[in-house]
Formats: sequence, structure tokens, C-alpha cells
Amino acid sequence: MRWATRRHCHVDRAACAWLIRRFVDPDAEFVFVDDPDEVPADATPFDIRGAELSHHGGECSFEAFLRRFDLDDPVLWDVARIVHEADLADERHDAPEGPGLDVLLRGLSMTRSDDELLALAEPLFDGLYEYRKRAILLGREPS
Amino acid sequence: MSIDRTTWVLLAYRLPRAPSTPRSTVWRKLRRLGAAQLLDGLVALPLDARNREQLEWLADEAVEAGGEAAIWVGELGSAQERALVARMSEAVATEYRKLIAEAEAARDHPCGRRRRTLGRLRREVRRIRARDYFPPPERQLALVAVEELAALVEEPVA
Repeated sequence: MRWATRRHCHVDRAACAWLIRRFVDPDAEFVFVDDPDEVPADATPFDIRGAELSHHGGECSFEAFLRRFDLDDPVLWDVARIVHEADLADERHDAPEGPGLDVLLRGLSMTRSDDELLALAEPLFDGLYEYRKRAILLGREPS
Repeated sequence: MSIDRTTWVLLAYRLPRAPSTPRSTVWRKLRRLGAAQLLDGLVALPLDARNREQLEWLADEAVEAGGEAAIWVGELGSAQERALVARMSEAVATEYRKLIAEAEAARDHPCGRRRRTLGRLRREVRRIRARDYFPPPERQLALVAVEELAALVEEPVA
């Protein structure tokens, strides 16, 4: 399947792309557009104004994916809390990891293309997912 | 004072009178971003990718709440811009001054309370800096005040 999002990806779009590849569509192909009008007819738009898989009710696009695809894995919702704060910093959640994740992804977006950014973000989010999974199982920060 | 001209991203929005929750949510987020109110329902931020995106999400939020919203990118007249920059700079200066007073007051607090105040003030400085687009001299003074408090916290107990 083809998925379309805005060019110059940042944390929310990178997290969504990781989520799509891991939990929704392993063969996902991504296209990047400058304007919502440029989304190809056969592509599903995300993190674009007006799309279903975008910001709604103060939630970020990653949270919209979890709702739309009924992904009720508590670890994913825990990662969502961090992505939300990295993206929006509105202190809806207590996620001290947010600002750090924001800096890492923002830095990558300055030095890499969108395709490279998404490829690099995958192992990063794999690691974040694993860390939060262990933290939830242990009930404290894992080492 | 001469300054480089700024390009602005503007959000024009209207929300229904009731319910009042979306109104206060949007207002709280605009305040966090440091947006300056130009008129009732018209706010401005210096244009960059992040500010533009954040205002676009707020525009969508206003529309979802039954209101109307539009995003504009533009330039202001030079006198109007000077006044706006001065106003935004003064707004963060006020926040920095309050923080400096708190940091100074905390010097006389007991050790544990001083440490907690330090943590809170460091977070607060970060929040203010994120919306400090036209830094006033108070910024440097605030950073120094917090670091002086930190030096006291780290002092070994005699």
C-alpha cells in the first residue's frame, strides 16, 4: 500500500511510519508531498490537515493511528504519550523523554532526506518500544 | 532600535460561545507558544516550520469545535511590527523577572525545598525560552539567577 505525508518529516510522521511498517502494513511505501492536494489517488494520507489519520481533538497523528486500527497494546499507548509530548509539548502527559526525542528527530531532519530519516527512525522506535515494554513489565526503569 | 524584518504566520479564528472548553484549550496552547494577540481572534507568531504547523493544528482544532479558522502568512507595517516585537519581548521579560524573584527568594529556603525549587525553575526557564522569539536582557539575568541557585544547591553541607 502507498501512504502519503508531508515532506520534511519530524517526530510524529517518523513515529507513524514506524507504526505502519511494524503493525499495519509491512510493505508500506511512503510518498512525500508539499500540499494536501498533491496526495496521489491511491495513497492514504497521514499527518496532513484534513486527513482522518491526523491531529484530532488535541491528539497527534500517532494517536489517531492507534484509534483507527484498534491497536490497544499498552506499550504503544505508552510510546504515544512520548510522541505526543515530543510533537506538541502541551504537557497533556508527563513524558520527560519527549523533549529528548524531539531533539534527536529534529537533528536528523536537518541532516538527512525524508527516506533516510524514516529508515533511521525505525531502529530508534524499535528500541524505544522495547525499553517502554520492559519498563511496564518491571514497574520501574529497566537497565 | 533597528531589527531585521520578520515574516509572520497569523491565525484568524472564531469559536462558538459555548461550550467554553475548546476556547480555553486553544487559548492555553496559544499562550504556551507565545503567540501575540493582534485583535480578538487574530494571533501572530514569527514564521518558522514549527510555528506554522502548530497554528495549523490549532486551526483544525477550532474548525472541529464548530468554529472557523484561517492561516495567513504575511508582513506587518514597520511601526506595527516594532510595537508587536516590543510587546512580545516585554511579555517574556515579565515572566523572566518573576522567575528571577523566585530564584532569589529560594536562596534562603531550607536545602530540600531549595532543590525542588531549582528543578521547577529550570523547567520553567525552558518553557519560557521556547517562546522567547525576541530575547530581552532579562533572559541572561534569569539564566544567571538559576545557575546561582544551582551552585548553592550543589554546595556540600558544612
